[in-house]
Amino acid sequence: MDTTANTRQGLKELINRAGIGLALLGLVVFFSVFTEHFLTANNITNILTQITINLILAVGMTFVILIGGIDLSVGSIMAFAAVIAGKAMTMPGLGPTEAILLAVMAGLLAGMLCGLLNGFLSAYWSIPSFIITLGMLNIARGAALQVTDAQTVYAFPKEFSEFGSSLIFGVPVVFILALLLVAVAWFILNHTILGRMIYGIGNNEEAVRLAGHSVFRYKMIAFTICGLTAGIAAIVYMARLNIASPIAGIGFELNAIAAVIIGGTSLNGGRGSVIGTLMGALIIGVLANGLILLGLSDFMRQMITGVVLIAAVLLDQYRARYGRST
Amino acid sequence: MTNIQRLEAGSDNDETVLRVTGLKKHFGGVKALDGVDFSLRKGEVHALVGENGAGKSTLIRVLTGVHTFKDGAITLGGASFAPQSPQQAKARGVQVVHQELNLLSHLSVAENISIEALPRNRFGLYDRAETRRRARLALDAIGLSDVDVDAVVSTLGIAHRQLIEIARALQSDSAILILDEPTATLTDREKLRLFDIVRAMAARGVTVVFVTHHLDEVFAICQRVTVFRNGKTIITQDIPQTSPAEVVRHMVGREVGQLATKRPAIPANVPIALSLKSFRVAGSSSADGVSLDLRYGEILGIAGLVGSGRTELLRGIFAIDPVVSGTLQRDGVDISLKNPAQAIAAGIGFVTEDRKDEGLILSMPIAANTTLANMNLVTRLGLLRHRGEASIATEYGAKLQLKFGKISDAVSSLSGGNQQKVVLAKWLATAPRVLMLDEPTRGVDVGAKAEIYAILRDLADQGMAILVVSSELPELMTLCDRILVMAQNAIQGCVMPADYAEENILKLAYRQS
Repeated sequence: MDTTANTRQGLKELINRAGIGLALLGLVVFFSVFTEHFLTANNITNILTQITINLILAVGMTFVILIGGIDLSVGSIMAFAAVIAGKAMTMPGLGPTEAILLAVMAGLLAGMLCGLLNGFLSAYWSIPSFIITLGMLNIARGAALQVTDAQTVYAFPKEFSEFGSSLIFGVPVVFILALLLVAVAWFILNHTILGRMIYGIGNNEEAVRLAGHSVFRYKMIAFTICGLTAGIAAIVYMARLNIASPIAGIGFELNAIAAVIIGGTSLNGGRGSVIGTLMGALIIGVLANGLILLGLSDFMRQMITGVVLIAAVLLDQYRARYGRST
Repeated sequence: MTNIQRLEAGSDNDETVLRVTGLKKHFGGVKALDGVDFSLRKGEVHALVGENGAGKSTLIRVLTGVHTFKDGAITLGGASFAPQSPQQAKARGVQVVHQELNLLSHLSVAENISIEALPRNRFGLYDRAETRRRARLALDAIGLSDVDVDAVVSTLGIAHRQLIEIARALQSDSAILILDEPTATLTDREKLRLFDIVRAMAARGVTVVFVTHHLDEVFAICQRVTVFRNGKTIITQDIPQTSPAEVVRHMVGREVGQLATKRPAIPANVPIALSLKSFRVAGSSSADGVSLDLRYGEILGIAGLVGSGRTELLRGIFAIDPVVSGTLQRDGVDISLKNPAQAIAAGIGFVTEDRKDEGLILSMPIAANTTLANMNLVTRLGLLRHRGEASIATEYGAKLQLKFGKISDAVSSLSGGNQQKVVLAKWLATAPRVLMLDEPTRGVDVGAKAEIYAILRDLADQGMAILVVSSELPELMTLCDRILVMAQNAIQGCVMPADYAEENILKLAYRQS
């Protein structure tokens, strides 16, 4: 109403937005002070490598959560896409370039197909995506095991694994790829009709439908994007470990969801950002790394990550309530 | 003279049960209540009126313990009253029945009535028989002997649900019962029943606070009326000493100009924009369906009771719900629409009944809402032009006299009337030739109502064909060139301006076929 109220509102908005970044900064400072090895080039490279796959999955998950959905199947889809890509790459009679190209295409397609199926089934029959993707979690995992006969696929061209482990100025190339994905997702969400519709559907599906837009189509796209990022994560995983295991990625969906939620995206949809997701993934990674450097056990680390997740959701509740009362 | 007054003041009938003095309530910098004085007498029905944002809701929230207050004083039954929670307010006998009902729809009527304190038997287990007995008593007390206590709430109509809430509120000895917009979703007949129940409650000594937008109801049932404006009490008047026009003047703080209802009839040679022939939507109870012609420049009203198929007709035209049979012509050409996108492409716009659920994305900016139905205006190759969007939204805002802070503010920051203008802006941005509106001024205050009427008339004068559904007959009579009356999914007749009278419309609306 008056300008003071506006600036105060603006300040709160700023703190709200910067809050997650400040939390990350606080963690970094804390671990830098209290551990010896946290702020070393080696360790930072380590952290970035470790969070890459989760970040890639979380970028796609952000789209799905923004429309008010959830995707529990990304871990399984990643494994399925990986074994499909692995099979393609190890097909006899292919040169390294052809093999890699074919594998990447096959992996991405497999991921997108699973995502498309998730989106189609849940949007066409208006079934909660929780149930559909829970089904897909089992289907994709089963398919991955079936295709490989539960055997790990290996023996990839060495050019491929070089991509997985190469660094530019100490930054893993795969992390740069993930950052690129974040940037593309940010652009889509903020500067395209698709992005506008995704936020709109998360807030009020009916209003979007009555304004003449196909909610069905945009939901399919959101899930397909999520499947695609699972496919990309599969390729990165293969390049890093040089294998494609049908039991890869178990439980990865939960970490991806955690990164999105810690990043401030509302589980009810309609509110949040992919920049937040980046922060969320960084916080989870920094926390994991720092706590181990502090000498805590991996079990303790897991507990603390859980506490952070719950704290983030509580914070989000307060934010939502505060936003309503003003 | 003075003797008589004192006598009256001292008589049982005039006993003041609640007195609010100098109540103030601020939210941040916003003064929701800015010095409210208000009193209630035992056993009266007291109307609380005012435009949206005048402070009625905030006062109710303070009285029912949802909000606390610092400045001012409230006394209830002679003792100071400052509830810290809804429980405390209830303990002192202050109950509220909200506009949005708070029933558990999958439980029985009896369970709903006792839900605040479910009875236990001597083993500490839930006592079903006692629950049913209490419910029967509570229902009988307000004359609802026809309602089965074992019925599941979701199987009951909206009117019964409301009455069940009232029964629940009254079973604990209520001193004061606040009804917040109780008639918003009721038909006229259900309204009369509610009024009978309210009168009976008042006769038993319950004080009823009646919050409403409908002045005819105020004058039908209330003894006194208090008018709020901008968080202040403007005046409290005895109903016999005032008139609806005077109350409106107090609400608005100025005279509300009536639109000239005398307009030349639309000549028959003006082309027909939209024509329906035997148009039947799914679930229609009429074999013949609806036939109507809407001409360019015409505002055609559709009156009818709730459930007569008015909203369903509009939803059918806009291809939201399936159409079973019949034809729809635009500019004399048969078309079949499969979804809202095709309807929009055919030049039709639809301002829906419920702006919160269907019309707006509340937490998104005014600008984003304005362009929602026509993204082509602000995109190039699928990319958004934020600056172009802001300027287009600002332009429509200016056209519709929208009052807003920044165009990037969330729509939820606007008042009801201004929110409705954003819905209107959204559809005008699609440049429709036919505009349909369902309850265009529901929950909109008096001043904004008049502005919306003027906007619609202006659009019609520019040649737009407008179809308006409304439950408010004065609204239709002010706005429309003709009024069609619907009942049982069919048009029962047409009322021309010369015959405009509520009686003429209602006669058609109540016709049973």
